[in-house]
Amino acid sequence: MSTFVDDFPAEAKVVRSSMYNAFVALAIGALMGILQTLYRTDVFHFISAEQYYTVLTAHGVFMVISFTIWFLVGVFAWAVISSLDRGVEDLRFTWAWFGFMTVGTLLAAIAIFGGFMSDPPEVLGSELSADVLFTFYAPLEAHPFFYIGLVLFVVGTWLAGADWFRSYLAWRSENPGERIPLPTFMVLTTMIMWYIATLGVATSILVFLLPWSLGLVDTVNPTLTRTLFWFFGHPVVYFWLMPAYLLWYTLLPKLAGGRLFSDPLARVVFVLFLLLSTPVGIHHQYLDPGIAEGFKFIAMTNTMFLLLPSLLTAFTVVASIEHGARQRGGEGRLGWLKALPWKDPVFTGMIFAGLMFAAGGFSGMVNAGMNINYLVHNTLWVPGHFHLTVGTAVALTFMAASYWFIPQLTGKQLVGRSIALVQVVLWFVGMVFMTNAMHRTGMLGVPRRTAEPWYDGFEYAGNVAEHNFQIALGGTILTLSILLFFVVILLTLLRGSKGGVEGSSIPEPLSGPDHSPAVIDNLKLWAGIAIVLVIMAYTLPLASIVERGGLFGPDGMRSFPSGNPGFLEYTSLFVQMVIQNATEVIFR
Amino acid sequence: MGSTEQEVKQDGSEATQPVREIGHDEYDPIGTLTLIALYFLILISMWFFMYFVEFVGNDPTVVGMV
Ligand code: HEM
Ligand SMILES: [Cu+2]
Repeated sequence: MSTFVDDFPAEAKVVRSSMYNAFVALAIGALMGILQTLYRTDVFHFISAEQYYTVLTAHGVFMVISFTIWFLVGVFAWAVISSLDRGVEDLRFTWAWFGFMTVGTLLAAIAIFGGFMSDPPEVLGSELSADVLFTFYAPLEAHPFFYIGLVLFVVGTWLAGADWFRSYLAWRSENPGERIPLPTFMVLTTMIMWYIATLGVATSILVFLLPWSLGLVDTVNPTLTRTLFWFFGHPVVYFWLMPAYLLWYTLLPKLAGGRLFSDPLARVVFVLFLLLSTPVGIHHQYLDPGIAEGFKFIAMTNTMFLLLPSLLTAFTVVASIEHGARQRGGEGRLGWLKALPWKDPVFTGMIFAGLMFAAGGFSGMVNAGMNINYLVHNTLWVPGHFHLTVGTAVALTFMAASYWFIPQLTGKQLVGRSIALVQVVLWFVGMVFMTNAMHRTGMLGVPRRTAEPWYDGFEYAGNVAEHNFQIALGGTILTLSILLFFVVILLTLLRGSKGGVEGSSIPEPLSGPDHSPAVIDNLKLWAGIAIVLVIMAYTLPLASIVERGGLFGPDGMRSFPSGNPGFLEYTSLFVQMVIQNATEVIFR
Repeated sequence: MGSTEQEVKQDGSEATQPVREIGHDEYDPIGTLTLIALYFLILISMWFFMYFVEFVGNDPTVVGMV
């Protein structure tokens, strides 16, 4: 059995480099994370209150845009190449998307870090800074570099997707009639979702925010750009999560000593995510004025459907692990849990990540309910929720998976296995402290995104100091965990001895793809339905937002070329745009 | 049975050595069912608890007159 780097040395280099970029982003993000944690809990102020927002922007962007996406393009490239068992079609193209993403990251980073200078220089006619947080809502305005960087980064991911579709089509022409290998199927469905989702953010940036930041237009309609952001902002969470699911479905059963319980169920889950991820974004805007309650209610209903694929995943993944445990000799109703390879940091890290995700499921349901959302909206509860989901379910899965990937990608054995085990456990413990206290303070009304959430003549109705202590303690444990992560990775890269790494083959599922109807592999069909659902969910809200607030804001409305087009014209324009882009994506 | 054969490799990792082969038909995921049922119980009780947090402590938000 051979490792990935033995089979595909040139491709392994791209995957490796993507992951190294992810690690750099993780290191920067973690540094920012502890700085802001200590500030807002009033433990220690290394930064000023103004710099807090630069730090917070850097934390958000480096964690959830750079770290996650750099890592996942590595995972996806690995998944496609290894499951199709063929190298990329053209290595120069592969490095090209890598290049786009790199330049994009650097430009955005320059804009963000400009904010740390006491007197940022003028570049392209505006001050170099981007204190806009990772949601970059208008009226917060960033330097054009920030938006251009994001665009280049996203274009890089589009090209990466094209690379994988290209591999798939080449494979298909040689293997007509065969079922798409599961990991490739997962990557392709996720990428179709990503193409649809990023149309929102691309429109928001290219049509509105970038021209505005460059001074080409004077105003924008903030509700419109927010809505376009969340058109992308919800599916992006599945873009982070799907690679983690991919690893849970493929790697975890193997590590547990078993086989995936059901290949068809896994495919159904990914199709459901493709269909349901996008028409729900308005659930982030329950408190936005200017969007009718009815639209919010529809978004809430769609969101509740989205629980289904995650519950299916819980069942399939746990059943696969139980299968492994029983094959390893585990007995009893729950006694089999003892037969699992708990000393393996890859396994244990991913299980803890999944456990945290189950907890995040509850706070997610609270967020998703319109009425209870009002209770926690924009409080620290929300960061509490997503440090369970993206901050642990995804991030911890990626860190744990790194202990498997780095040997696969370098041929070197992991050094410091027990440190790695301590690392994943510490992450879990740190997050228990930090997120629990974040949820609790959120319920007391403590706001998120606030450097100094304390006010004269006002007391919260609860023991905020105690919770703050737990948040700071949790944050410190997390920082320690990150340090250990880098110790293991660096030790492995510098000291790891070559050879002896187990092969990367994934065992066959218990119930194979031939147990599912062939229509499941019909990607065009699912893409078509997904687009129709998006059009249904978004046409009316977008049209009414534009009608109320103008395409470029109330004043920009008058300067819009065709005077004051009515509801129908906007609607048909939007539908045309969506269909055009979608057909390009599908039939590229 | 009941014991797990663990083979420790050079780098300290345990090789996952199955002691028996379990096929699709003879596998009954009773443990999974137990865990999922447990999770549902927790969810339901937390949901129930939330009723008190939301409605007993505050006035209803969406329902009712403005
Ligand atoms: C070293 C570990 C970490 C610490 C100590 C930490 C701490 C924090 C704190 C205290 C906040 C809230 C700040 C505020 O609202 O005022 C925050 C926000 C955030 N964190 Fe983390 N975090 C960590 C890791 C992560 C990870 C791994 C991710 C995702 C992969 C992540 C993603 C985010 C995001 C997206 C925000 C919201 C930023 C915004 O509101 O614009 N964090 N973090
Ligand atoms: Cu969402």
